[in-house]
Parts: sequence; structure tokens; C-alpha cells
Amino acid sequence: MLTHEQLYGNKANPNFEELLRVIKGQIPSKPVLFEFALNDRLLGILSGEARENNTSRIAPFRRLIRAFTNAGYDFTTISAWRTNTLHFVKGDLAEKESRSLNSGNMISDRESFEAYPWPDPELGDYDIYYDLREELPDGMQLIASGNGGLLENVIDLVGFEDLSMMTLLDQALTTEIFDAVGSRLLRFYEIVAPIETVGACIVNDDWGFKNQTMFSPDMLRRWVFPWHRKIVAAIHKSGKKAILHSCGQLKDVMDEVIDDMKYDAKHSFEDQITPIEEAYKLWGKRISIMGGIDMDFLARSTPEAITNRSKLMLEQGLLHGGYALGSGNSIPEYIPDKNYFAMISAINS
Amino acid sequence: MDLARLVELGKIDKNTPHPPALIGQDGVLELTQLAIKKEIKAQIILNEGLMPGMHAIGEKLSRGEVFITDMLIAARAMNVALGQLKPFFLSGEIQAKGTIVLGTVKGDLHDIGKNLVKMIMEGDGWEVKDLGTDVSEEQFVEAVNNSTDAIVGISALLTTTMLHMGSAVQRLRENNPNTKIYIGGAPVSQSFCEEIGADGYFSNPHGLARELRKAPKLLI
Ligand code: B12
Repeated sequence: MLTHEQLYGNKANPNFEELLRVIKGQIPSKPVLFEFALNDRLLGILSGEARENNTSRIAPFRRLIRAFTNAGYDFTTISAWRTNTLHFVKGDLAEKESRSLNSGNMISDRESFEAYPWPDPELGDYDIYYDLREELPDGMQLIASGNGGLLENVIDLVGFEDLSMMTLLDQALTTEIFDAVGSRLLRFYEIVAPIETVGACIVNDDWGFKNQTMFSPDMLRRWVFPWHRKIVAAIHKSGKKAILHSCGQLKDVMDEVIDDMKYDAKHSFEDQITPIEEAYKLWGKRISIMGGIDMDFLARSTPEAITNRSKLMLEQGLLHGGYALGSGNSIPEYIPDKNYFAMISAINS
Repeated sequence: MDLARLVELGKIDKNTPHPPALIGQDGVLELTQLAIKKEIKAQIILNEGLMPGMHAIGEKLSRGEVFITDMLIAARAMNVALGQLKPFFLSGEIQAKGTIVLGTVKGDLHDIGKNLVKMIMEGDGWEVKDLGTDVSEEQFVEAVNNSTDAIVGISALLTTTMLHMGSAVQRLRENNPNTKIYIGGAPVSQSFCEEIGADGYFSNPHGLARELRKAPKLLI
């Protein structure tokens, strides 16, 4: 196990209030880290348990919390895919290192829409979020996220190219599908956000790709954004903060993310779209900026270059507020461990 | 309304409810059939009727004025017309500008970007040999051996899969140093293109179409 003490020379002392400061756009009293997900190899190294142990319901979460604690986070993220809460049954999603957005489609017309086994979020088992209270070190809270977002789930259910056609050729059915998924996701967040162990929520929904949004902003405004507005309002109603994780080129809709949907923080940035330094300057005064150390940079640069860039971003954050250090997306297996540690070690200085 | 404009708007046929303003009016299918009936040369239908429509929508996509959905429906309209023109391709009356061998790199199953490249290049008069996703170096080499003048296009989604582009370029070069290789996809950049010695990187397919239009020997 790689302990906090070995990594940073002192005992872990998570303090969710520090992350909250960042999310509120304030200056934290220490450098703060943010990450959506760590790969299993890292979880093994950081928790001392090489493999997930499923002997009890709690065991995998205990490992997750231990890893996040040792790495220096003030929170642990719990994605709904790890829980038995809300899950949309998908078709066959053949997967290698990537997968096709056209695969897995189960809904192609009204008949298949009606035959689809829609999950009931009320029937989910949310106990795990309560039960983890005993497992969380003092000062740490959970950040809950959904099992895919609204647009992501609809794309998986219909298939990207078929959905594109449906948005033009059968708008009534398109609306019903988005509403069927959106209302369930909303209910998921309405149930999860008030739970005492949950300090904030990530709403994860990729909207863009390299050049623009995957569907036009008008389509997103019609089918996607209204549900996000409701989800953020539900999270806020519980007194919690809402972090948007959405990849791709979103410049055309960032104003709406901030002013209309009222997200508190934005996660996912890419150098080829808007490098984090630029994003922080562009939007940092209006919404908190999380992570953003580019994935390709993180995968292929030297540890020195990674630490330096991370330090510079942290310095900006400690000067102007509203920034937590982390990757542009997550830490998949292909990020060399030494590069990940080079990034988080920047909080040491 | 002219054929090119109908392609651009994605008005597939009379029954297509898109765009709403043209409901009930003839679409690309009917107009192509009419043009064939009037014995307009197939190459002219393609070059002056259909391709300008795809060109217009591709240009607009590259400028961010339209979205993937618009491109997909235009490509469907184009495909319906190409179906009507198939006999003329088979008889050799219509000639493509050349062949593009296209594929998503080994390990990678992502296909939306690659499919868009295919649509735009076909719409620009190229014959595209789509090798699909998860394409090995050997498959690229074999495809080029089967059409030696072909240009190669490779797509990737993640840094890990992008790295397989390097070995694909190397194998293709060993096989035929003159093969032009173009790359694209989320993590790909100009500097990576230089690093692996590919001939060009484009952030959108239209950039490739434009580049190839500049190469005089490739034009019909
Ligand atoms: C949708 C998406 C997903 C989906 C589906 C992915 C899939 N199909 O497999 C989901 C949610 C499953 C996903 C998962 C992951 N993703 Co993802 N994902 C995306 C996203 C948002 C869009 C990709 C997409 O579909 N684009 C749509 C098409 C139209 O765009 P495109 O392929 O780029 O093609 C265009 C151009 O590039 C060009 N083009 C493409 N190819 C070619 C070729 C030639 C020759 C030419 C001329 C042009 C050209 O033409 C197209 C039209 O303009 C991107 C963000 C981004 N910037 O793209 C991240 C992204 C690709 N994902 C990323 C990551 C890290 C992941 C995960 C590893 C996350 C994780 N920890 O699990 C996993 C991978 C696992 C997996 N099995 O895929 C990173 C990759 C970073 C990197 N450098 O490696 C990105 C860039 C996001 C980020 N914030 O950094 N992802």
C-alpha cells in the first residue's frame, strides 16, 4: 500500500470543506485535488488491496475510500455503476480500448420504446450511500455520479446515427425517449443528493467532440438541457453542489451551463479544444474549474513536465480561487502511474 | 429546387418529413430518377447535381455552421442517389477521383468520426474502401496492395489507440513509400502527425477533401 504519509510525508487529513471552497469559487487554504475516477491498478496500489474483494457489499467501497484517502482527496467518488440504484439495460456494447457509439441500440421505434424494460429509480438500493458513513474518514464525503448521463444513455439506447435520424424524422418519439431517461436520472439525483454522506454530485454527460457539440445546441436546448436544469435544481435543493462532467467542444453552450443550468463546477478539458490554462481564464470567474491536465499530455509527457504544469495551475488556483488539480477526464489504465503521481505530487510544494 | 440544394438539406425523397418546409415535395430520389430519365449524363448528375450539395454541407460542417445530424441526413440523401447511379459506376461511365482506404486503428472500435470521413470523401467523388474498426497494420497493407494508388485515412479515439497509428504508418511505408497517409481523431494533432511521419493531419474530414482537391494529378 502506498500511504498518504509515504506520498506526502504527513497523515491524511481529508477536509471536504476545502473542496467546497473551490466549488464555491473561493481560495482554499491548501491545494486541492479532484479526480472523477482512478483505474483499478492505481486503486490497488493506493489501497494495498491489489484486487477488488467482493466478500462483502462494503469491501469494494472500503478499498475505493482508502485509495482516495491515501492519494490526498477530500472525497471519494461513487459512480452509480458500482451501486444497485439506476441502470439502463443496454444491448451488446462490444468493447475494446474504445467502442462504437452505434452499438448497443435497443430502441428503434415506438414498439421497441414501449417494450423497453424501463428501470424504476425508486426500487434502487440506496443503502450503500448511508452505510458508507462508518467507512469514511473524518472530514471526507462522497461525490455521487450517475451511471451515464442523459444524452449518453439515449445514445446507447438508440445508437448515435439512428438517434441523429430520429431527431429529424420522428421528433415526438425523440422527446419521449429523452423524457423517459431524463425523468429517471432526475429521480436518481433527487434521492441521492439529500443523503448525508453525499457532499456533492457529478452529473456526467458527454455533449461534445473535437470540433463542436455532437448535436446542435438547439437540439440540446430542446431535449437535454431542461433535464439538466432540473437535476441541478434538485441537487441545490438538498444544499449540495453540482459538478458537470462533459467532454468535447462546449464553447457554444458554456454560458447556458453557467447561467441557465447553474452548474457550480465544470470538469473535463482537452488541450486540443481549450487548454485548462485558457479555460480557467475564460470561465474561471463564473464557474469553478476542475482538473484539466490534458489526457494526452498526462499519458506522454515526462513526470517533470507534468509536475511543472500542475504546479503552475495550482498556483493560479491559490491566487484566484475556484480551481482543483486533476486530469482532463480520469485516470485510465494507460496513464503511467509515475505520471499520475507526478501530477498529484504538485500539491506537495 | 435544384438537386445540390436538396442533397445539402437532406431531403431524401418525397416522403421524408425533413426539412419541414419541403414536406410533400420531391426529394433527391425523385430528382435523380428524373435526371436519369432525361438522359442527363450520369457523370454530370454526380459532379454538378450531387457533389456540390455534399461539398456545401461539408464546408458548413467544417465551419461549425451545421452539425453532424445535418451531415448524416445529407449523406443518406446522397446515398439514395448513388444507388440510382450504381449501373453507371458498374459500366464505367462514372469514374471516381481515386480510392481511399479508410479505417479506425487497431484496438479501437469507435466509428462516428471515421464514418463522417467516409461520407464526406464519397460526397467529394472518391471511392472509399471502408475497412471498418479495429483495423490491423496488415489489413491496411493488404488493402493498399489491392489498389496501389489508394490514399489511406486512419482514425483513433484515445492516446493508447492513437499510438498504433505509428506502427501502421511504418508498415505502410515499408510496403509502399509513396502511399499518402492522413490521420485524424480526438487525440491526434499536427505534432503527432510529424512524430510518426504521416502525410497530414486534419481536425475535420473536409480539410482532407480540400487538400486532395489541391493535388492536380488526382483530379479527374
Ligand atoms: C463519446 C466519448 C466517449 C463515449 C464513447 C467512446 C467510444 N466511442 O468508444 C464513452 C462515454 C463510452 C467514452 C469512454 C471513454 N473515454 Co471518451 N470520449 C468521448 C468523446 C466525448 C467524443 C468521441 C466521439 O464520439 N466523437 C465523435 C466524432 C464525430 O468525433 P471524432 O472521432 O473526433 O471525429 C471527427 C474528427 O476528429 C475527424 N476525424 C476523425 N478521424 C479522422 C480521420 C481522418 C483521416 C480525418 C481526415 C479526420 C478524422 O472527423 C470527425 C468529424 O469532424 C471524446 C471527446 C472528444 N474530444 O472527442 C472523449 C475522449 C475520446 N474520451 C476519453 C477517455 C479518456 C475515455 C475513457 C478512457 C474514460 C475512462 N476512464 O473510462 C473511456 C474509454 C473506454 C471506451 N471503451 O471507450 C478522452 C481520451 C483522451 C486521450 N487522449 O486518450 C477524450 C478525448 C475526452 C477527454 N476529456 O480527454 N468516451
